Amino acid sequence: MFSGTTRSLVGASKRLWTPISIRSLSTPNQPSAPSTKTSTTAPQIKAEPTPTSATSPTSAASTPVKESAAPEKAPVKEWLVEPWRSLTTLLTVLVLMILLQYSRSDRLADLEKNARLPRSVQALYLRPLRRKAEHGLPVCDLQLRSYSAENLEFFADFAIRAAYYLKLPVSGPVPLPRITQRWTVIRSNFVHKKSKENFERITLRRLIQIKDGHPEAVQAWLAFLRKHAFYGVGMKANVWEHESLDAGKALDASLPEIQKTVGPHLAQFGQREDNKRPGTIFDALDNARHAEPKNL
Amino acid sequence: MSKAASMFHPKRLDLSGFVNTRVIRDHNKRNAFAQMEPERQALRYIIRNTSLPQRTRAQAQLQLSQMHCYTRPTQVKNRCVASGTARSVFRDFRLNRFQFRMQALAGELPGVKKASW
Repeated sequence: MFSGTTRSLVGASKRLWTPISIRSLSTPNQPSAPSTKTSTTAPQIKAEPTPTSATSPTSAASTPVKESAAPEKAPVKEWLVEPWRSLTTLLTVLVLMILLQYSRSDRLADLEKNARLPRSVQALYLRPLRRKAEHGLPVCDLQLRSYSAENLEFFADFAIRAAYYLKLPVSGPVPLPRITQRWTVIRSNFVHKKSKENFERITLRRLIQIKDGHPEAVQAWLAFLRKHAFYGVGMKANVWEHESLDAGKALDASLPEIQKTVGPHLAQFGQREDNKRPGTIFDALDNARHAEPKNL
Repeated sequence: MSKAASMFHPKRLDLSGFVNTRVIRDHNKRNAFAQMEPERQALRYIIRNTSLPQRTRAQAQLQLSQMHCYTRPTQVKNRCVASGTARSVFRDFRLNRFQFRMQALAGELPGVKKASW
């Protein structure tokens, strides 16, 4: 279950290299686009750099040489195809192109040699890191529910990573049994009772358990997940808090504060002003209107 | 107490979606029930409480039976929000079976697919 997501993410990491190289290599070609717009050789020039970038993104040193060689071929063909274009303008464009290409390819090489993804970003392409639980005391059960497995897996992964950075030991995601609901309805809006159609809705569930984390950290984690709630994924959390053995003393100490907070609510209780009568409720019950006849 | 149902009509229509005379009527019944429920429960309590005098209980019975029929919970009937139909309305979606089918096939109900097993 979990390997599936990691595999796909690893695939994404491999793919990640190509967009970078394509973008950076295709930008030098952009100035050449107006000059080669009408020529037939344009697809050839553009096609050359991309396979090299796809096969060897790291060997950036070899690519600028090829690129510089490619535009040299281009003007010759263009010259043959479009004889009306003046040679001087072509040459200036060529020089500009080469200059631009060199500077950009150098920059690219530097980038690929020296720069790397930040560790936190790189970690996204690896299996999520986890803290080790010291005592294994469950503190919070988070249940994720969704109709789509992709969203659910993604968000479970996100929740586990968030828990790691909040230093919360986490176990899961445990795939809980699916909830399948089925409905059979008559196909038509009127009569034809024998022709029916079946529909179903499968709710997928994942359980993520936090172990011996600080209650505030757990609350922060839950708030973070709520803030970044993913579409189509529902959340339900059971939180347990643990008290020390002398909880009674703490309760006694906090009593005056609680009384203060409860005060305004308690002030609401009592009889209504317009309903006040002299005497107690027993007086009211004993009077003639409520008196039960004794020989009934 | 007057028996006119108009006493439960809202001054402005406070409904959206599919609106129909019967839908409005059901809505009024729901409002009336919600409004009068504490009173009903109080009377029911008095009627069932054997420690109270017989006369009080009988009076409560009378009062309860004289309350408007719109205040009864049995008057409320689930209606389809898309068509106003009262028959075979799914509680999960508040939709009639046919509306449910149409919306499910159109993919408007999240997670509902055609099943085959």
